[in-house]
Amino acid sequence: MTREPMLSRKTSIAYKTAEKTVLRGYDVSELAEEGYSFCDAMFVLFQGRIPSEKEEKMLKYEMGAFLEHSMSPSAASAIAVTAGRPNLPTAVAAGVMTFGGVHGPGAAHGYMMNKYITRAQREDKTLDEAAEILVDDYMDADQPVMGMGQPQHTDGDPRAEPIHLQQEELGTNGAYHEFQRSVEKHFHARRKREGKNYVGVNVVGAGNAALSDLGFAPNAAWCIGSVARGYSCATHAIFAMKKGRAWAASKREPMVQMLDLSMIKYVGPEDREVPTQEERQEYAEAQKKSGEYKKWVI
Amino acid sequence: MDKKRVIGNLDNPGLPYEYDKREYGTVPLDTSRDPFQWVSEVAYKNTHRIVTRGYDTTELMEQGYGITDVMFINFQARIPTLAEDQMLNYILILSLEDGLSMPAAMSRMVARSKTFLTQACGTSILAFGHAYGAYSAFGNMLLSALEKGESEGKDIETIAKELVANKLGDPALGVSDLMLKDPAAKRIFARAEKLGVAGKYIAFTKEIVKAAQSASSTPVDLDLLAATGAVMMDLGFTPEATWSIIAITRSFGAGAHYIEEVEREEHTRLGESLTPKEMYDGPDDRPVPPLADRDKAATPAKTSTPDEWKAAFEERKKLHGSGFSIIEEIHDPSKKTGVKTLGKKI
Repeated sequence: MTREPMLSRKTSIAYKTAEKTVLRGYDVSELAEEGYSFCDAMFVLFQGRIPSEKEEKMLKYEMGAFLEHSMSPSAASAIAVTAGRPNLPTAVAAGVMTFGGVHGPGAAHGYMMNKYITRAQREDKTLDEAAEILVDDYMDADQPVMGMGQPQHTDGDPRAEPIHLQQEELGTNGAYHEFQRSVEKHFHARRKREGKNYVGVNVVGAGNAALSDLGFAPNAAWCIGSVARGYSCATHAIFAMKKGRAWAASKREPMVQMLDLSMIKYVGPEDREVPTQEERQEYAEAQKKSGEYKKWVI
Repeated sequence: MDKKRVIGNLDNPGLPYEYDKREYGTVPLDTSRDPFQWVSEVAYKNTHRIVTRGYDTTELMEQGYGITDVMFINFQARIPTLAEDQMLNYILILSLEDGLSMPAAMSRMVARSKTFLTQACGTSILAFGHAYGAYSAFGNMLLSALEKGESEGKDIETIAKELVANKLGDPALGVSDLMLKDPAAKRIFARAEKLGVAGKYIAFTKEIVKAAQSASSTPVDLDLLAATGAVMMDLGFTPEATWSIIAITRSFGAGAHYIEEVEREEHTRLGESLTPKEMYDGPDDRPVPPLADRDKAATPAKTSTPDEWKAAFEERKKLHGSGFSIIEEIHDPSKKTGVKTLGKKI
């Protein structure tokens, strides 16, 4: 048995010997024995430091609030993957991997905040002024402002404003919180001026501001949010595996299943005859020349 | 659609149906049954609330609950005791990071392709199988052994001895030489006992360790798999819940490895990595036969008798990467407790 690492790398995250596992200098067993929490360990992992009690409390709130979001792309993916009955981690991984440019774009939102706060610092502007520039930049370009709006919680994300308030109550609100609040203020004002409906802050906007003020870099914050969601994806996947129908298409179920044939609505090319191999070249050339196919290319 | 011709074998009388008579077009909506909905015992949300197992998640946070409490709620539909919550925090800290082990390595390899962090984190979860992080295999082994043994009136010492007789050396046993010098695994049991959350699974696992130490010719002891697996089951988590919780927890660590890989290493391009010939032990270099001579060069796979099949099978096993030297034991429908294992070599 070899106990060599899978990759040869210099790393400043952790080392492991036959005697102990050490994370950023701390023996993980001793961290646990001392009574530190899982959220404390997240600060050690990503920031190499023990957080204050209030910082730990804020992260605990944030991760707890983000863990479950019922039917979102992540849970839906995890459930869909279970239909083929792969090993459970496959479904969980799929759930985590749904987090991209639209679903929980944590890193992008963080980089956006950093970009405009950098601009404030370089151009001697206030955070509020930089936030107004951000809102105008995005809205002038008819682009959505990251951190604002949620397609299901159209009256305001139930997690977002309470996260802001919790940050203020705990006193962990810093420059990011102030900046995000200003983004929201200018966003609302401009939409009102333009006669548009109210669109509230979402959990990425509020949550990411909180995580950034806790000292997490954009990708670390994204990791915390998207991987925390993995726990609920696992729950949904296990429920589907243990209590749902494999393949999700049975006609014997009293309810039409997710993959029932009747769920297909086809809007592609009309049914057409397959050309013979003898006809193929002429057929293919004519088809390519007509260009009709291009409207179907994806 | 009117067809001009019959295609291939589709008018073969051996077909049990007339293929050409089969309809085109999609299936109409089934209105004879309830329409499809996402059915869930776990959670729902509406425009204004997110509710898991009956509890509004924002209200939970405002009441001072946190992520570990929500894990109990999600997986077990209950609020944990303070001791249970402390124990889960303890387990998660130990599960967060493991140096440059497989989840970290997999995350770093994905990072090298210039991907999203979430791709790397998801990939790290896939490291957890039936050898590495075999929480499902371990937990279900405990459950089935206890169920069978208890139904036969055996005590846990006897059940453990019988289990070890079959499973010694299995990576899912949770007793190995991995932690002979590292006290972390034994500390987990001690903490569980101190917090008053130790139950039948820790007790049974201790018996397994004793039996394994007695049966093994080399030193073995409780390892991290069995220590965390047994405690999680005493906390009420199923083997599947444990499997996913630990894998996901490690994924945070894998995220840090993704970040460090991007920060400190280069990206890898398609075609960049070479495989030196000294690492290759396949067939010698040989000329590609002209396409016109393919039938002379080809060796058809078809066999006709069991003996021919067996001979061909044995020959094919000699080619690594063909898959013939791996057997996956499938569930035996004649046995109620058939166990499926993966990747066992013949």
